[in-house]
Amino acid sequence: MHELKIVEELIGIITQVAESENLKKVTKVNIQFGKMIMIVPDVFQFVFEGAVKGTVARKARLSLEILPIIFACNKCKVETEIDDLLFICPYCGSNDLQLKQGREILIESIEGEKSDCKIVKGEKQEVKN
Amino acid sequence: MEIKIRKNVLDRNKNMANEVRSLLQEKKVLMVNIISSPGAGKTTLLERTLENLKDKFKIGIIEGDITTDRDAQRLNGHGVPIVVINTEGGCHLDSHSILKVLPEFNLDNTDVIFVENVGNLVCPSHFDLGEDFKLAVVSTAEGDDKPIKYPMLFREAKAILLNKIDLIEYTNFNITSFRVDLNNVNGRVPLMEISCTKNLGMEQWYNWIYEEISSK
Repeated sequence: MHELKIVEELIGIITQVAESENLKKVTKVNIQFGKMIMIVPDVFQFVFEGAVKGTVARKARLSLEILPIIFACNKCKVETEIDDLLFICPYCGSNDLQLKQGREILIESIEGEKSDCKIVKGEKQEVKN
Repeated sequence: MEIKIRKNVLDRNKNMANEVRSLLQEKKVLMVNIISSPGAGKTTLLERTLENLKDKFKIGIIEGDITTDRDAQRLNGHGVPIVVINTEGGCHLDSHSILKVLPEFNLDNTDVIFVENVGNLVCPSHFDLGEDFKLAVVSTAEGDDKPIKYPMLFREAKAILLNKIDLIEYTNFNITSFRVDLNNVNGRVPLMEISCTKNLGMEQWYNWIYEEISSK
């Protein structure tokens, strides 16, 4: 259930960015997970929906992309995508591999609507356009 | 409008883990993050390890438990400082809780801290605690398919302990299949086959960890 802690951290980042960018509403959250992280998208979605209640992202849609596992062989230097969890270079048979992609937990971007008001230190101020 | 962020969601955990790491580096303290399923034998491993190493090194223990201090009680009486972190439902330790308890240890007078993580093969492997390395403990009673089902841990661990080898004959654990799967997931990691309760194969573990602590 590491989904819960990841969602908590995610909401912290969204709230912080929404505040600094003066968003009144976050409509979409774009995240990427490496396949090694073993996130279950449905579980993550469920936890996310529960956790965003009462936050600026309460109506946000979640876009979740799973990144494949990519290794570089330290022996023959070829990069390979792995999908059968066989961590052996298909070209030279070496098991001396370096992970290039697959353990990411990334927030790529958020989408939202700007507020007409600027909030400074907890006090609302009108912004003159 | 879209706002680009491109940030690791667990950055806060990573930053605090780096704080732990640099503090332990400065004090020359080795930290081992022990990860396994519940019941694989982490606490028994620590009991045996304390008996063997407590006269050679200054040891500290951090016990991660969802609730209770039962594991810590089992380790009591060896004269080593033990700090319990109750995660209160959390399925893994994080670097924030480690950073908070480090002042409980006299780091100038400590060679190694063993962290017994919460019993779980998935979540603890995602959270850097600032350790020098992860140690995976797996037992024959759990079945032989763990490396292929939980590749992240078996890729990242510096060594694998296969515990309860004395029970193999009572289970359907296929050791050849386990070795093949482990080799496919991580062909470079050392595997030590042991029984903590029957004291089988323990010398190789004591020698291995002795070298790790001595070389920090």
